[in-house]
Amino acid sequence: MKHFIAILFCFVFTQSQPPLYTCRSVTTTIFSEAPLENIDATSTKGVSVLNPATGELQFSIPINSYQFQKSLMQEHFNENYMESDKFPFARFKGKINEKIDWKTPGNYQVTVNGDLEVHGVKQARSINGTVSITNSSVTVQSKFTVLCKDHHIDIPKIVFKNIAESIQVTVKANYTPSTASK
Amino acid sequence: MKTKLLIALCFFCYTAKAQTDSLLATMENSETKTEPVTATFKSSHLILSQTTAMVKKYNLDFQVGHRFGDIGGVDGGSKTFWGFDNSSDIYIGFEYGITDRLNIGFGRSKYEQLLDLQLKYAALRQTTDDKIPLSMSLIAKTGFTPYEVTTDVFDNYADRFSYFVEVLLARKFSPRFSLQLSPNVLFRNVTLSPDDEKTLFSLGGAFRYKFTKRFGVVVDYNHVFSQYRKNNPNTNYYDPLGIGIEIETGGHVFTMNFVNAPAIVENNFIPNSTSSWLDGEFRFGFTISRMFTFHRTKTNPSNYEKR
Repeated sequence: MKHFIAILFCFVFTQSQPPLYTCRSVTTTIFSEAPLENIDATSTKGVSVLNPATGELQFSIPINSYQFQKSLMQEHFNENYMESDKFPFARFKGKINEKIDWKTPGNYQVTVNGDLEVHGVKQARSINGTVSITNSSVTVQSKFTVLCKDHHIDIPKIVFKNIAESIQVTVKANYTPSTASK
Repeated sequence: MKTKLLIALCFFCYTAKAQTDSLLATMENSETKTEPVTATFKSSHLILSQTTAMVKKYNLDFQVGHRFGDIGGVDGGSKTFWGFDNSSDIYIGFEYGITDRLNIGFGRSKYEQLLDLQLKYAALRQTTDDKIPLSMSLIAKTGFTPYEVTTDVFDNYADRFSYFVEVLLARKFSPRFSLQLSPNVLFRNVTLSPDDEKTLFSLGGAFRYKFTKRFGVVVDYNHVFSQYRKNNPNTNYYDPLGIGIEIETGGHVFTMNFVNAPAIVENNFIPNSTSSWLDGEFRFGFTISRMFTFHRTKTNPSNYEKR
């Protein structure tokens, strides 16, 4: 009986706490057009946590998970530009400005204010995105631009024609409620 | 019992408040897998040694190597514009990635008109968590000298062949510093002197230190274990030693060096280095490597539609 009460208690308590939403396969793409060759890479290995109670939204993308068309470009991206051994993750920690009714399906245009950390350099950003809620899932999507110089990513003069100075980033994450809180 | 449970539950509720940060950190860590260390060396050739760097799948590395004549000594000085009027060796080679771990290479040298064909296999790759502390590549190469001879030096056709086997052991100690040791053995079917060993063991050692992301220095050395070379009354043999700089521009790797060995390929420089740094018998040389990609992995179909 005691155990039953304890289990019941646990159940009640976890229910009263709105669950966090997590995504373990955030898809992000980086794309830029340059005179000689376009840069185009995709990662599907990002992770994200969404706290519906507070509107907190966090992302973390392993830099070396970006797959490029050219394997040499991928090596240079990690070794020469992003220095992924020193700065292995790109992160975003922010908060959704708008109040969202997480129980009502629909598309919500939102603005998220927070810190974008790329190449070890944090930038305060306000990023627009969409939150799509259906009965079974929550999806967050966004498209924004990152300037290399904002994050101290050096482009040497000798190769500048190859590399664009601004990178277009798209993000898509499908969330499922997480019960594990460890 | 009940109080304990209550405390535990309270604690749980409290932590739930600050859990967004910690949950992300946990997920971040669980997604971090052990990764192979990349870019231990930028190019498959340093000055003398080859490296554990592989040509990736479907890529072709085109290499041009050049060694000028002696800067000083008998053949150097102003009369040959410090060696620039001579070329002791010119090498043109191709290396293709059959897979990320298996490369096939072909090349031709001016020195001995040597043609070479080699296979290189990446047996081990250093990992970020140091479970594998170093990279190991294996090289097997056949050298063939096709030129016409009027003497009976190649009275047996098989005498034109030489075989080179090498184990490359490299570790990237930091983003700047990589070190490589390469025990190797060269079999020659014929030697000019009957006392010369047909089987030569030697040990190569090389390091790369990067000053900036794209610029570094390279030192490359090879010691030949040979009694014939050690105590030779007629000819002095010297261990090949090269010092150079390496510049990478994204696609190209340039190596500019000074080296006493006149030849570029192992089958030539291991047995035949009779030039001495101390006598001014070293030369300027360079190697250019250009990588071509024949295959592009599709990364994101939506981006293709945009074009």
